[in-house]
Amino acid sequence: MRRGLARAWMAVVLAALLHNGWMWLVQRRTPETDLLALLPMDERDPTVGRAVANVADAAQQYFVVLVGSTDWTGARAAAAAYSHVLEAHPEWFGPVEQGALDEEQAMAPWWSRRAGLLTAADRRLLLGATPESWASTAMQNLTSPLGTGRIGAWQDDPFGVFRDWLQARAAETPVRPVDGLLRVDDDSMHYAVLPIRLRGRAFSFFAQQAVVPLLYEADSAAQRAAPGIRLLSAGIILPAAAAARQADHEMSTIGWGSLLGIVLLVWLALRSFRPIGLVLLSLGVGTLGALSVTALIYPKVHLITLVFGASLVGTAADYGLNYLCARVGDSRDPWIVMRTLLPGLACGVVTTVVAYLGLALTPFPGLQQMAVFAAVGLVFAWITVALWFPLIGGPAIQSSRLALWFGATRARWPVVNRSATTVAAGVAAAVVIAIGIMRLKPNDDIRLLQNSPPGIIEQEGEVGRILRAPAMTQFYVVRAASESELLVREEQLRVRLDSLATARVIDGYQAVSSWVPSAETQARDHELVATRLYGASGPLSRLATALGEDGTWVEATRRRLVAPAAPLTIKEWLASPISEPYRHLWLGEAGGEWASVVSLQGIDDAKLATLDAAAAGLRGVTFVDKIAEISGLLGRYRREMGWVIAFSYVAIFLLLLPRYGRRAWRVVAPSILASLAALALFGIVGQPLQLFHVLALLIIFGSGVDYAIFLIERPDAREGNAWLGVGLSAMSTLLSFGLLSLSQTPVLRAFGLTMLVGITVSMLASPYFCTDR
Amino acid sequence: MNTIVAAALMLAAARQVQSRGDDPNLRRIQAMLAKPAAMCGRFEQAKTLVGLRRPVKSSGRFCVVLEKGVLWTTVLPFPATLRLTKDEIVESHGAEVTKRLSAREEPTVGIINDLLFSLLQGDLGRLTASFAITSTVDDREWTAKLVPKDGGMKHVIAGIELSGGTFVRQITIREASGDATEISFSSIATGAAALLPDESRQFDLPAGSAPHPEDHER
Repeated sequence: MRRGLARAWMAVVLAALLHNGWMWLVQRRTPETDLLALLPMDERDPTVGRAVANVADAAQQYFVVLVGSTDWTGARAAAAAYSHVLEAHPEWFGPVEQGALDEEQAMAPWWSRRAGLLTAADRRLLLGATPESWASTAMQNLTSPLGTGRIGAWQDDPFGVFRDWLQARAAETPVRPVDGLLRVDDDSMHYAVLPIRLRGRAFSFFAQQAVVPLLYEADSAAQRAAPGIRLLSAGIILPAAAAARQADHEMSTIGWGSLLGIVLLVWLALRSFRPIGLVLLSLGVGTLGALSVTALIYPKVHLITLVFGASLVGTAADYGLNYLCARVGDSRDPWIVMRTLLPGLACGVVTTVVAYLGLALTPFPGLQQMAVFAAVGLVFAWITVALWFPLIGGPAIQSSRLALWFGATRARWPVVNRSATTVAAGVAAAVVIAIGIMRLKPNDDIRLLQNSPPGIIEQEGEVGRILRAPAMTQFYVVRAASESELLVREEQLRVRLDSLATARVIDGYQAVSSWVPSAETQARDHELVATRLYGASGPLSRLATALGEDGTWVEATRRRLVAPAAPLTIKEWLASPISEPYRHLWLGEAGGEWASVVSLQGIDDAKLATLDAAAAGLRGVTFVDKIAEISGLLGRYRREMGWVIAFSYVAIFLLLLPRYGRRAWRVVAPSILASLAALALFGIVGQPLQLFHVLALLIIFGSGVDYAIFLIERPDAREGNAWLGVGLSAMSTLLSFGLLSLSQTPVLRAFGLTMLVGITVSMLASPYFCTDR
Repeated sequence: MNTIVAAALMLAAARQVQSRGDDPNLRRIQAMLAKPAAMCGRFEQAKTLVGLRRPVKSSGRFCVVLEKGVLWTTVLPFPATLRLTKDEIVESHGAEVTKRLSAREEPTVGIINDLLFSLLQGDLGRLTASFAITSTVDDREWTAKLVPKDGGMKHVIAGIELSGGTFVRQITIREASGDATEISFSSIATGAAALLPDESRQFDLPAGSAPHPEDHER
């Protein structure tokens, strides 16, 4: 029976092994490194979700390099050298966009509809200014030594209203085509702008591996071409690659560090390599099973899941160590030892799995993966211990000096009783904890989790400032039941944004309706131009007199310039290369709803309330602040998680009540004390409480309850082996999770610190509560 | 060994000269031009516009001041002032500013100012970056034809013709649309004294003191 089960388990483990081999060696799967995949799907609003995805997609492909010098010729030479390197790799980089766009051809749809395109300023002037002043301004323009316009001849736009409209569109960006390149100036610096289209996703591991070295190569080529130039790059691939490199590096250091620590510990305590091999075997089976099942459930396993997987090593060692330490100096039949331990081990795994599965209650896909990975890993390791260890565990283990000494400390350990010392210690602990927890302040700002190297963030800020790049995380979403209604609603919003721009609250904005006004506005503007500008009593005839032209000329010019044209459409805008940098603003139609994004330039946190208020009362306009939204969500789940932990303690207490009766409170007391101590410490040192601290508390719950169960199963103070098992488990957990507090990733560091405090306290408190004397 | 290094250095030097497009004609023209720190004079302008029977004529005074910019004061047919600096282009009608375009709104303001400044000074060396130049020169006179190199500018400007001696005397700007502007200059004075008090004020200069007053009329 036992051997049958052990053999059946062997089949399962072999299957997991084959599955893993197939995944990693044949399929060549790679872990997901997309940080966005760690964020929850937008819960409430599919349109906002679409807007966020659209903007994020545009951001992901966005990579821009500024090659700057006070000498434009130098900047041009360096930019050419930079592009030259990328052009050799068309598999990764789209052609570097140049300034030589045929503006006349690209703008043809607008040129032919120019009678219906007016800037807000010219519209006001047409309603307000006299025909005389229009005519004299037009005459004054003819005294200028400068040319008359960018497209067409003077007679095609004698009052320059289309030139004004083009100028307003151009003013949305400081970038200009100069000498066949895109150029932006900043004080005395001239920058050549190289917008680079990445083929492949910025978060894909392979793309990062291939692209980032090429970017460095291009950097040095540019430096060689014009020494002393200033190179600024921005694009999500840089922080993404840095984060992936970091996680990759830490996974190996923390993973190996924890393994090495555990090996050393077990060898020192048990003076044999067999226990090491056995513990490694249980951990290996646990990891294999975790990888298989997680990959079966989730198509893409995230790198963060694997980082946690490496850290799981510490926790899954608990069961094996409990069994192995029980056999120190005990020559009974291994199966008999296992049978006596089994109830405690079972309580241990059930409580820990319950605690880990609490992670699955969060909306974060990455954490759900971690929950599955952790729970499955623990169960696989546990079954391996229960079914295989008695078979292959070998004879009783010889006691070592360290093992004997450590086991004996339990007899001298203070225990909880009704003495004055206990009461004093309890009061002191309660006071410190109360003070600490009162000082504890939550801060859920997602930007606290940001982890990019400062150089990358700085460059990104510089590039954003110089290019006046619109914000990627805060924008308006406009929606309507039809395309035409959508454009009308955008225009209503733009009236408010124009006054915010005049008041210098924002630098500007980008909106589809700036390029394609609603059909109503086009018709109204066309009417205004036809009557006020080219109409019988308008400035055209006055201009003709000043120029010595007659009524025939006036009539011909009017007919030519106000010829009716079908209104400009979104379709034409989308088809023109002009819309290329703005296409992500257009969300199009989904489920009978039309939607678009209006993005904002030059905003900061202090302006968000004003911007939110600007949407008030406008139908179909929502201000989206993705940062506030995610931060709010983190806060909500931090609180919910807290309740999950509190209820878990109650549930476990009730679950353990039948077995431990009046002593059941002793099982939960060490972990509760440990959690409160960790929280108090953060309050005292002023570290803000985040979701990730609370998640660690959940794991402290699982491990701490294990320790208490293993000790209370054998409450005799002379039972040194149970205490030895707890000690080794806690030490190995500290080694693996304690190393996480060294991580550069803020999420992992917060988690690691909590574990460091919590596991230490729960280990030290377990014999205090769970020993009979 | 040393000869190889020397030969390589000479080759490199030769290439540098070539890449700067330093043709002997341009050098002679540059040598002939006075390029004073400040100069003013009279201009007469005629714009020939597609679809109009008569050219639009205007005349007035112009000033070109190093480090400052260009001032274009039309007197006839009506007074109007255009001031170009690297930071802004300001049009005014008497005391009233009718249009102001800052480099912040329109980054090409600096480029336009540069171009006009170079044209008025005849600084062909600076113009070689953006134009292909063919020129003729004798002892006292020169002419130059400029064709834009860049595709974007080709859509706007078909070509520019310049001629002159110590100063630029005539500029013709032909736009791609067929419109053309022909400007001729006369009565050119240089140095600080060339600027009228009102013109000095426009450039925030103390009256009668342009920078580097060592230049004199030639």
